[in-house]
Amino acid sequence: MTSRSHGTFHASGRSIPFRLLEPNLIEIDGKRYRFYVLHNRNEHIVWLNGHTYHLPRAEKGALSHAAAAPASGEITALMPGKILRIEVNAGDTVVEKQTVAIMESMKMESALHAPRAGRVAAIHCQQGQVVEMGELLIVID
Amino acid sequence: MIRKVLIANRGEIAIRIGHTLREMEIETVAVFTDPDEHSLHVPAADAACHIESYLDAREIVRAAKEYGADAIHPGYGFLSESPSLSEECEKAGIIFIGPRPDTIRSMGDKLESKRVMQAAGVPVVPTWDGNPPASAYPVLVKAVGGGGGKGMRLVEKAEDLAEAMASASREASKAFNDSRVFVEKYIRRPRHIEFQILGDSHGNHIHVFERECSIQRRHQKIIEETPSTAMTLKLREEMGAAAVAAAKAVDYRGAGTVEFILDPIGSFYFLEMNTRLQVEHPVTEMTTGLDLVREQVLIAEGQRLLYRQADLHPVGHSMECRIYAEVPEENFRPSTGTIEIFEAPAGPGVRLDSGVGKNSVVSYHFDPLLAKLIVWASSREAAIDRMKRALADFVLLGVRNNIEFLHRVISDPEFSSGKIDTGFLDRHPELFTVSTDVPVEALLVASLGGEKTVSGAHIPDVWTSGFWRNS
Repeated sequence: MTSRSHGTFHASGRSIPFRLLEPNLIEIDGKRYRFYVLHNRNEHIVWLNGHTYHLPRAEKGALSHAAAAPASGEITALMPGKILRIEVNAGDTVVEKQTVAIMESMKMESALHAPRAGRVAAIHCQQGQVVEMGELLIVID
Repeated sequence: MIRKVLIANRGEIAIRIGHTLREMEIETVAVFTDPDEHSLHVPAADAACHIESYLDAREIVRAAKEYGADAIHPGYGFLSESPSLSEECEKAGIIFIGPRPDTIRSMGDKLESKRVMQAAGVPVVPTWDGNPPASAYPVLVKAVGGGGGKGMRLVEKAEDLAEAMASASREASKAFNDSRVFVEKYIRRPRHIEFQILGDSHGNHIHVFERECSIQRRHQKIIEETPSTAMTLKLREEMGAAAVAAAKAVDYRGAGTVEFILDPIGSFYFLEMNTRLQVEHPVTEMTTGLDLVREQVLIAEGQRLLYRQADLHPVGHSMECRIYAEVPEENFRPSTGTIEIFEAPAGPGVRLDSGVGKNSVVSYHFDPLLAKLIVWASSREAAIDRMKRALADFVLLGVRNNIEFLHRVISDPEFSSGKIDTGFLDRHPELFTVSTDVPVEALLVASLGGEKTVSGAHIPDVWTSGFWRNS
């Protein structure tokens, strides 16, 4: 199993513990769910205990921007939303995958990670700021 | 004795027919057109023959001769109700597992079939060729050669009749290559109840009880069950006797179905006779223990029916849900694609007749019926519970389908009360709407599975690269 087999999911101000028990069985907050996930070009399809949910993927532009980000060291907003917290200062040294900021989109919190190890060259946003999808937030040198 | 059968069909019914034939140690030949090259009914048979069309009777009979088949089973749809295949079989000396061509022809004509039934004393819906009396309204305009709701119009007032007949006629001409239409009395809140019949070539006819098929969308059945909640012992006896009279009127040979409409006060009327195996035949098999395909084969071999009416005693309750590749929430839009995940329900009293599985490609070429989920239980209440469980266990991803919609329908209190009629779905628009809220648990699992992309390429995006952190 991967390191994702257990963890805490942060959403809507809640911290929800989960444990992946089998490839298609997960325990979320103490309750078991049978699940299947299908990722296709336009959406993620989630089957969870007999219900199917269709989650649209982000716009194409945002995807390519996001995909390009690790190489450039630029951290951009993957969705429109609000910056809840910035966890680094300009000049800080960060390791790869270190959380640098937390943002909220669609009532969900998500962590923004450093695409690679380096030094925080610039911070283009501030706490509480509403940002657009694809907007440049932080640059790692 | 029949030794080898060509199955002139595809999908779930071709596979289901093959199951029984193999049990009877009869060899099977599948036919397939180009889009079906990789379909499951092809490897399910002992041999397979490529054809240009499922609708070309001569080509199918040629294939049967080429492969040494001594009989052809038509399934349902395609050529099953066209006299041409039955006729071509007779010419070629091949056994057609179904009725004689003249039976198919007379029952396929809706006006002719009503005349035959009326003469035999079977109650029929009052029908007119053109102008019904003013007292008859509302009326339905229907296509002579039709079915499935095509070429059908409801007319409330006499002044709207001419236009409705003209437009129904145009539609019928396109759909059935037969522009003839007729007018029929419209029955409010009708139930659709049909009786399974069996007849041998020695003049014996029995009925194998009723099927309730009132849950329909656009005149297409989606849920069927037996017994019907409308049935009393007396009504079953009356309708059963009418069904047998209908079978005798045409000296019916094989398995067939007599369709009736039943009004709220218990009057019933002959609607039509289907001269083939029905899609919903499994519910009858579940409650009676009969294998209707086996009965068809034995009858086609010229054997006498093994049962008299008094020998048949149905047990328990059976229900079928038709799994369609369509989106009920979006006006029943048909859907296509590749089935990426297919996990079939199982357990006591659960039967799945499926034409698809993992990796099956669903295209626009054919009917959107993917599979039929059938349950049996000791009571209707237990059958509903079992169906809900089986639907909830059924994972079919990659092609949008109606599984959750069916679950909502059978969970409806009016459905479980049994007070159903063909207008049920029209009265329940709420069953077609679904909340767009996505629970946090669904977002969580979506964020876990980033490595399983369909294209094989991993694209980081909002769901897979955000929203979760290891603790």
